[in-house]
Amino acid sequence: MKTIILGVGNKILGDDGVGIHVTDELKKHIKDPNITIDDAVTGGMNLLELLLGYDKAIIVDAVKTNEGEVGEVKRIPLDNFSTMHSCNPHDVSLTEAIEIAKKMGEEKIPQEIIIIGIIMKEIPCEFKEKLSKRIEAAVPKAVEMTLNEIKKDIKISI
Amino acid sequence: MKTITIDPITRLEGHGKISIFLDGKGDVENAYLQIPELRGFERFAQGRRAEDMPQITSRICGVCPVAHHFAATKALDAAFNVDPPSAAKKLRELMYSGYYIYDHILHFYFLGGPDFVVGPDAPAAKRNVLGVIEKAGLEIGKEVIKHRAYGQKITAILGGKATHPVCGLPGGVSKGLNKDEVKDIKDMTKSCINFAQFSLKLFNDIVLQNKVYVDLILSDPYQLKTYNMGLVDKNNKTNFYDGKIRVTDQQGKEKVKFDVKDYTKYVAEHVEEWSYIKFPYLKSVGWNGFKDGKDSGIYRVGPLGRLNASEGMATPLADKEYKKMFETLGGKAINSTLAFHWARLIELLYATERAMELVNDPEITSTKIRNPVGEPGEGIGVTEAARGTLIHHYKLDKKGLIDKANLIVATTNNSGAINMSIRDAAMGIIKKGKVNDGLLNMVEMAFRAYDPCFACATHTLPGGMPLEVNIYDNNKKLYKTMRQNL
Repeated sequence: MKTIILGVGNKILGDDGVGIHVTDELKKHIKDPNITIDDAVTGGMNLLELLLGYDKAIIVDAVKTNEGEVGEVKRIPLDNFSTMHSCNPHDVSLTEAIEIAKKMGEEKIPQEIIIIGIIMKEIPCEFKEKLSKRIEAAVPKAVEMTLNEIKKDIKISI
Repeated sequence: MKTITIDPITRLEGHGKISIFLDGKGDVENAYLQIPELRGFERFAQGRRAEDMPQITSRICGVCPVAHHFAATKALDAAFNVDPPSAAKKLRELMYSGYYIYDHILHFYFLGGPDFVVGPDAPAAKRNVLGVIEKAGLEIGKEVIKHRAYGQKITAILGGKATHPVCGLPGGVSKGLNKDEVKDIKDMTKSCINFAQFSLKLFNDIVLQNKVYVDLILSDPYQLKTYNMGLVDKNNKTNFYDGKIRVTDQQGKEKVKFDVKDYTKYVAEHVEEWSYIKFPYLKSVGWNGFKDGKDSGIYRVGPLGRLNASEGMATPLADKEYKKMFETLGGKAINSTLAFHWARLIELLYATERAMELVNDPEITSTKIRNPVGEPGEGIGVTEAARGTLIHHYKLDKKGLIDKANLIVATTNNSGAINMSIRDAAMGIIKKGKVNDGLLNMVEMAFRAYDPCFACATHTLPGGMPLEVNIYDNNKKLYKTMRQNL
């Protein structure tokens, strides 16, 4: 089984880049030919293209929602994730992209897509590389939850 | 005063927020689009190695990484006083053409096009790419996906990751092309030329053959008589990668033409307290508020701005389509905001033809792709991002570190015009305080044509297309809220 773990966000926009901070950390723990770890400042169609051909995809990303607390980490199966977000105003959302691709007969869409979402209330608008305290504190939890995701499916020594 | 706030905008993530101000009679007085511009770039850039800027700035936005990458690279060419070898310039422009191919396809079929192809009156749920496919056929959908991916692949072959180009260096590029790659790009480009022609035919059959749509394009709420700006080559033909900045007036006559290094002599920025976004205008005309006409320095960039600002396309098929557009819509300048969509398709065709010229050039496989750099100084670089003129301006210290950095992005160049287009669309539909459901769509159509670039943003839950309209009474008390998906 081939899995991709993708950190999504913008590392030069503070908390927006938390997903990539998480995948940077994961790279230190995971060395398995069946697991790809990558990052992307993109969404929608571009994001979908990066997922094609894998059996399972785990997307680690900042999520803005009214529910929950800042810095909380949630596991969200894609079916429950009716986001309009694509990280990219000129694109469709990931769920739309998947719907389109399915209609087109695309067969390489991962069977399972999980989002590990780090909750925040504000969308960062200022250039910086550091995470805020509460979001930085969420990184270990997000790393742990992502590792749990792959432990379920693949026997690997971490 | 009553205030109607539409927030956020369908299909536009960022924090785009529209406020519509009504006068005492309940008619539209003004409308503003508030975009929280990304702040602190200058401070962020200060002290960094100049040669990192093409990589850093390509991360500013997930939409235009290639445009930022090369605006930065060209600013560094100037700052290090180096002229890249001819082959390097061609490689950069070829990659740039790939970027236009995927970006323009995406906009037409996924974002702007549905309003036309499916129809402006169609329910919102149908006005998307799936609606386009339903109307045009499943096979078309496959072609859309395929050619968008070709554009991405061409970009990736030349620049590393399509979303993260790494090839631009001051004085040239880091990677050339081998013969196999040339063949791949040729095959894909050939297919893209056909697809671009097909897209124009689709536009012709579905939009231009339908009087209702043509009337809509030419209708008053969508007319804006601004100046137009775009890069042109030595023959005043549109170019995306290089050239001089040309500005034409409401009749299509040249107002000014200048090198980007002199941009501060010609362009100034107006500031409004309600927005972080600045409003650039032509210095020689001056800022006269949110007005169009020859006495207002506001100008437009992007596909229609570029085509108005040029005297044609440098490739034969695109030039034919260029002439057809101006003949059909009544000559220069075309002032209809909705004509941006048509112009975008003509540019798509040009990008494919230009890519073919470049990939067929024997020099494209040259290994002389970089010249040695000189001493660090000051440099300004310009490219035409898909959505308009993009300028990067850096001052370097003696060690080659960034001392000062300033960016003027495409959406900023269009910011004055976007606000006016929103206002005019709203005026057409809000009368005496009465707002009907058509408002949101008409307003959206007005600014979606510009394909404005908002900041990259985090995921927003819950999903769907959240839309909120707040209507305030004279005392600014909320008395009505219209919402969807919230």
